[in-house]
Amino acid sequence: MITQTAPVISIKGIREGLLITVDEGPYDEVFHLLSAEIEQKRDFLRGSRIALAVGKRPLHRHQLAEIQDLFSRHALTLWTVLAETVDTRTAARQLNLATRLPGSQTDLDGNVRQLVEREVAVEETTVQANTLLLQETIRSGRSIYHEGHVVIIGDVNPGAEITAGGNVIVWGRLRGLVHAGALGDETAVICALHFVPTQLRIADQIAIPPDDRRHNPIPEQAAIQEGQIIVEGWG
Amino acid sequence: MSGKVITVTSGKGGVGKTTISANLASALAQMGKKVVAIDADIGLRNLDVVMGLENRIVYDLVDVVEGRCRLRQAMIKDKRVPELYLIPAAQTRDKTAISPSDMVLVCDQLREELDYIIIDSPAGIERGFRNAIAPTDQVLIVTNPEVSAVRDADRIIGLIEAEQKGPGKLIINRIKPSMVERGEMLSINDILDILAIDLIGIVPEDENILVSTNRGTPITMSGANGTSASQAFCNVARRINGEDVPFLDLMAKNSFMDRLRRWLNGN
Repeated sequence: MITQTAPVISIKGIREGLLITVDEGPYDEVFHLLSAEIEQKRDFLRGSRIALAVGKRPLHRHQLAEIQDLFSRHALTLWTVLAETVDTRTAARQLNLATRLPGSQTDLDGNVRQLVEREVAVEETTVQANTLLLQETIRSGRSIYHEGHVVIIGDVNPGAEITAGGNVIVWGRLRGLVHAGALGDETAVICALHFVPTQLRIADQIAIPPDDRRHNPIPEQAAIQEGQIIVEGWG
Repeated sequence: MSGKVITVTSGKGGVGKTTISANLASALAQMGKKVVAIDADIGLRNLDVVMGLENRIVYDLVDVVEGRCRLRQAMIKDKRVPELYLIPAAQTRDKTAISPSDMVLVCDQLREELDYIIIDSPAGIERGFRNAIAPTDQVLIVTNPEVSAVRDADRIIGLIEAEQKGPGKLIINRIKPSMVERGEMLSINDILDILAIDLIGIVPEDENILVSTNRGTPITMSGANGTSASQAFCNVARRINGEDVPFLDLMAKNSFMDRLRRWLNGN
């Protein structure tokens, strides 16, 4: 039967192993409870790395060593001691134990610190607009999807992808992948000042430009004519 | 004193990040600055080997982040150059062992004592890269004059810009002017055409680099300053420090230099 004032142990899985949190209470009782818990859950815990959170309780080096022994007798590794007292952390370090979980809210010495909220700039995209206008170079790996027209003032680099339900106009060098009329509109067009995409698509048609295009930097437009994609010079 | 955090990254592996990090740190230290180099490539550490300090590792970056030691204890002092330190990576863990917020904490503490903190980023775009750019003030992107390297550099620049840490400055590493002349290698213009960021260094291919990394003595430290790569590294260090240094005359042949000069003059 468990009394109200008995210390409590909780075990939780974390990314690096298991976190065992020990409540308030006299050390001897806690140790006893810890032994019982580990014994009882032996099969479940076997082989785990344990982070032990002891809260405000001050623990001496020999007590930590005792706990370490207890763990290793049950094939567990005590790897981190999370303590709110400096002395306990120092004792843990002397036993070559970690005192902090990576990515935690504490500073490197283990003290809880005030978090400064970092303002994360949110990219504003006007989803409702019929035409998406971007005044920047679209770098490799970036993917733009828009149901209307897309106008880019800048380059579209190899590895970038533009998918538009409408037309795609690139006021710059088109070197990436572009798909106009992606929702089925065969009248969609693709225009660029320097037309060298890795691949272009209009509605269901796909075309690959021939290799010698690099030496022809005049503005060009691609459109479907008589069932296939034709690229013509502008003006 | 508030130190500056410089991250050396690339996207592509094997383009020269670690070599450049080691040589940059060494060159800055020889200019009288207090410098620490941090190897952020956890699990595949190399910076310690290239700097010849692997035998002196007791604690590493993960030990610091996990509170197993004080920050100072993990800083290995290079005995060859005053005020040059290394914080090595852990070899037995992987990049998930630390978080971006941990890197910010480490660098905030280092800023108080040092002039420059050089972070050698791992290759890739995942956690290791994010760890390396989290605390950064200035990103240096290293690329080779080679299509896949440039493609990866473009991706990285995009990611850096998206994190509001961009756009970064470019170092073109391992360029062979004779091959560029023959049209067998991408030219500086070809690369800048796509990447469109400021250039901070052009480093020629140099056999002495392999010798120096194997020996564990960065070329800017070994006194082999006559080699062009070494000179190029020193120039990058000087530019980082605010000096206006003209780019090296890599080849006697006029046509390459003419093109370079024309580009530099904005034509």
